[in-house]
Amino acid sequence: MKHLPKHLRPRWRYVAVGLEAWPDADVDRRGFQRALWYGAGNLLGDTGSADAGLKLLSFSFSDGEGEAVVRVRHGHLDDARAAIACVSEVDDDPVGIRIRGVSGTVRACEERYMGRAAGSSTQRDVAFEDADQTAVVRGDVYDVRVGSGYVGAAAFDIE
Amino acid sequence: MYEAVHAHPDGETTVARHAATAARYGYDGVVVRTGTSADPATYSDIAEEYGIDVVDAVEIDAGDRTAASGAVGSRRPDHTLVCVVGGDDGLNRYAVEEPRIDVLVRPNGDSGGFNHVLAKAARDNGVHVEFDFGPVLRATGGKRVRALSDLRKLREIVTYYDAPHVVSANATSHLELRPPRELVAVAERAGFDPEWVRDGLRAWREIAERNRERRSGAFIEPGVRRGRHEETGR
Repeated sequence: MKHLPKHLRPRWRYVAVGLEAWPDADVDRRGFQRALWYGAGNLLGDTGSADAGLKLLSFSFSDGEGEAVVRVRHGHLDDARAAIACVSEVDDDPVGIRIRGVSGTVRACEERYMGRAAGSSTQRDVAFEDADQTAVVRGDVYDVRVGSGYVGAAAFDIE
Repeated sequence: MYEAVHAHPDGETTVARHAATAARYGYDGVVVRTGTSADPATYSDIAEEYGIDVVDAVEIDAGDRTAASGAVGSRRPDHTLVCVVGGDDGLNRYAVEEPRIDVLVRPNGDSGGFNHVLAKAARDNGVHVEFDFGPVLRATGGKRVRALSDLRKLREIVTYYDAPHVVSANATSHLELRPPRELVAVAERAGFDPEWVRDGLRAWREIAERNRERRSGAFIEPGVRRGRHEETGR
């Protein structure tokens, strides 16, 4: 099909999204996309989410940290921001989510906001609250294994 | 803008991690609501480390008004900010009628309701009413719908009487924190005025600053403070 004349093409904005989760979380592209669509559908309704036109363009996630580029229709950015903020878990793994920034092209979005991973994580024994625990360390953040779950700590808490 | 959080062991994240995350998200401060294993004396170190204000607070979750009253009396002197968890009608009523309380949190928690009488009392006693966006962000289905309709009702009453309010996502871990812009966007979708929500986030700071001044040695009573005015020889 012949492509649309320029003034009739939809205009898009590209949202850079930062993700965070516990180190054992298994967040994949499919799961995140589903969470995003359900979040938009529940918050904005069918008409609203069709208007916002959310689409996941790129996604990467490893060791409890990830990032994604989401396409949004120009003028529906606030709706999209709200829908993205309502993603609280992906496949039963709780996730922290934040919008790093918004660009007019995919390339600008990637150059400006992507590739900020704090580096690979390592496992280490740490002293936390007067006890020896195992922690997954990524930069300044320490996810300390306590019992069956994790406690989110920072370098400040580790003696 | 400030955000009020639950820290380990009450939540899953330590004060320092909350502070680090909130600073990255663009908050100016965090209010640490409850039971933390960290000594409040370290809060100023954490504040310095992450460049964000850390306010020590307590959240009193009592079964009835007698217990709540006792807890408020004993814990008020030790904390900058005192919150009381609402829930049933008696507790909500008690909280808004007690000027020593700063914030009534989760007034729609259990069976509790909020009406014009409570709104007027809250306004007269300067007790802030919390708008908890936690269920809006994290619950689904009927629970979320009920939370949204409770928030709407509460908003209509509170704005009509111009009672003071605070806004929070009620995070128990750093993963549940949301940046202020995102929180405002969600609230806007739920029918709130964005500027009003931002005021609610700023209100935590105003309460903290007012109480810090009151707890400082120079404060005698409202309008009266001890200054450094030397008598000049006459």
